[in-house]
Amino acid sequence: MDVLEEPGKKVVFLGNEAIVRGGLEAGVGFVAAYPGTPSSEIPITFSVIAKKMGLYFEYSTNEKVAFEAATGAAWSGVRAMTAQKHFGLNVAADSIAPVALMGVKAGFVVMVADDPSGWSSTQSEQDTRYFARMFKMPMLEPSNPQECLDFTKLAFDLSEEFQIPVFLRTTTKVSHSIGTVKLGQIRKPEVRGKFQKDSDRYFNLRPHLQVLHERLNKKLEQIEKKYDRKLNMVFPKEGKMGIITSGVSFEYAKEALLELGLNLPIAKIGLTHPISKSFVCDFIKDKEVVLVLEELEPILEDFVTQMAKKANPNLVVHGKDLLPKSDEYNLEKVITAFEKTFERKLGIDFNDHQRKVDSALMGLPSRKPVLCPGCPHRSTFYAVKKVFGDEAIYAGDIGCYALGMFEPFNIHDFVVSMGAGIGVSHGIGIVSDQDVVAFVGDSTLFHAAMPALLNCRFNNVGKSPLIVVLDNGITAMTGLQPHPGSGFTGTGEKVEPVKIEDVVKGFQVKVRVCSAFSQKQLIQALQELKNIESIKVLISKGDCRLLTRRQFHAKGLVMPTFQISQEKCMKCGICTNNFACPAIIKAIMDAGEKSIYSIDPKICLGCAVCMQICPGRAIQIAKQEA
Amino acid sequence: MLTGVGGEGTLTTQVMIARAANIEGYYVRGVQLHGLAQRGGVMPSFVRFGSEKELSSPATMQANANLILAFEPLEAVRAIYYARKEKTIFAINDYPLVPVYANISNTPYPIMSEIIKRIMPFAKVIHIFSASRLSKEKLRNTIFGNIILVGAVSGMGLLPLKEDSLREAIKVTVPIEMENNFKAFELGLRLGRERIVSKG
Repeated sequence: MDVLEEPGKKVVFLGNEAIVRGGLEAGVGFVAAYPGTPSSEIPITFSVIAKKMGLYFEYSTNEKVAFEAATGAAWSGVRAMTAQKHFGLNVAADSIAPVALMGVKAGFVVMVADDPSGWSSTQSEQDTRYFARMFKMPMLEPSNPQECLDFTKLAFDLSEEFQIPVFLRTTTKVSHSIGTVKLGQIRKPEVRGKFQKDSDRYFNLRPHLQVLHERLNKKLEQIEKKYDRKLNMVFPKEGKMGIITSGVSFEYAKEALLELGLNLPIAKIGLTHPISKSFVCDFIKDKEVVLVLEELEPILEDFVTQMAKKANPNLVVHGKDLLPKSDEYNLEKVITAFEKTFERKLGIDFNDHQRKVDSALMGLPSRKPVLCPGCPHRSTFYAVKKVFGDEAIYAGDIGCYALGMFEPFNIHDFVVSMGAGIGVSHGIGIVSDQDVVAFVGDSTLFHAAMPALLNCRFNNVGKSPLIVVLDNGITAMTGLQPHPGSGFTGTGEKVEPVKIEDVVKGFQVKVRVCSAFSQKQLIQALQELKNIESIKVLISKGDCRLLTRRQFHAKGLVMPTFQISQEKCMKCGICTNNFACPAIIKAIMDAGEKSIYSIDPKICLGCAVCMQICPGRAIQIAKQEA
Repeated sequence: MLTGVGGEGTLTTQVMIARAANIEGYYVRGVQLHGLAQRGGVMPSFVRFGSEKELSSPATMQANANLILAFEPLEAVRAIYYARKEKTIFAINDYPLVPVYANISNTPYPIMSEIIKRIMPFAKVIHIFSASRLSKEKLRNTIFGNIILVGAVSGMGLLPLKEDSLREAIKVTVPIEMENNFKAFELGLRLGRERIVSKG
């Protein structure tokens, strides 16, 4: 593994890999996480190296539990870390607030990756910087992979020095960008500790609550002063115009200046909470115009505007007047904003090029993400659609199965948040007579859907939803991470898997289990459950085919594949248009001729479901190549 | 810029080229645009190398790519946002992967001449290689097509990195199938060199 390379070496790292290396160089001893892209590579990398490096790593059942576990370690004197995507932080939030107030003993870094543009998310473009303000926690924001490493180490130092948990915030283009990184020395982790009772620290009822609160306020004042010059930097140049920025926007700013041939000073803010008042005031006091560059909300901009009232009332502050609050930035957007602010023209018409591109792309088939070949969800969706039709309400949830929102299934009418499909369905069922089917994945069920299921059971009135658990044995979307039902932990230790049917039975809810790869079983179970008014669960069980393929390869076995008999094929197109398996190819023919359908054996993962849905019985197992 | 479809190894190739640039002491930046796209979606990524002073943005600017390696023809067309006539060289693997939406929405996959016609106004030159086909023929699997394509542009002198740096990068990036990846790289080099000779 690259993350274990020798000190002094220069390597190319993903931002996320650099964060792992930073943790190792800081001697992190305890890492807990629930996977969420764009932060997933952090737990994935730790899961591979944890044993070798002698540190503790776990995939926790959700982000709140991960945060709590890491808190326990940090309170007992072991340096700890969690990593999550922005929505993961929402889940953990309930526990973060009090821990921020009580503080920690050993360094504790809470890494969070925002996802402006939603490359890896279905929910929203929330700006997690507000959490730092709400919980009064310091927040560090690296701009590139080198800083990902450096800032992670600094975050541990800051956390331990001031006994406070610290946010390390990235965005997609920081976590998923690559860059040259110079490595430092890895520190042997301290993994054993001891919890010491300390009512002065942990007793958080009033009036001591206010004592803790005042203590926290003091800490922030000290951090603002002490870490100001360690994390914030000025790139000084002459001139009355300047740029204030942080995160990946700094990388765009530097290159945009080069492109435009401009030579302007930049104030780069690495500690975005608490922002240093003196740092900002020093920078703006002799300026006439500043442009604040930050993705999403105008947090820095509002701060600069407020500071200018005293430090420089005539200062013109640009920011969100020239740039959007949604989506991520790029060089094009930043150059355009520079052109307007600094009155220098690059002479490129970005819109003109975009128009030419749009017209050249007209009429091309789209390539939206699809369920993998052999995916058990495709089979389940196909059967559910057959039994419940287009009229039923389909509640979606977070996971690969959210791809069911696209054609041809259109089987996700809404997706809210982890476990919310069941929660929302319950409300719909109480106020309406509509059939509601709520999908939930296995990992999502363990993560946050069990309270919603229990709520349906507890308040079992009205028309309860049919809950379909898509149990593929693994957390598939983020790259096959284990959960309590998988039978092994984040470091590969075998454990007794939790059976979802046992959980549901424990709640005294009617449950049926069937194979996701059997259309017959699925349709029978669905028809039976459709007529039951009260709460009911169908567990559609079928391993993620990528996992099965991995297991086949490990044993040196070849996956079976299927083929289409050209004599029997009725050319109805059901396998491509309604079932939409990427392995089934419809050949392009001349006008008037009927298409030829075939299965690409390199893509087929042998689930055998196409064979079951083919009305002409034209699909059969292919003979293995010698 | 590299582009293709999830599962073709475009990310592995990005990492490999980035490592080769690192071996030669360049400052490297780049980004992978993935996430949901991993499931059979479009997979663009960037590798940028040079001096630390001149590059910092992870992604290339509009119409500013020097070289576009397209592992799939339709995705080569979608990469034109980053291309322009005066600057950009395209190297395309002519092995189409038909998206399922071509069937569902009845939008046929374009024929190769149509693809070239659409790219032409944005390309200085377009090189087409049967990399996947060659991979299938010589190595019994299309998967090495991406390394063949890298070898081909290297053999043509279009990728300003030493062959040995690329070999070293292959060694550390794909150690499991190293033998076949080395073979694929040599096949690509030969393909690229022959292409220059036949042109001259």
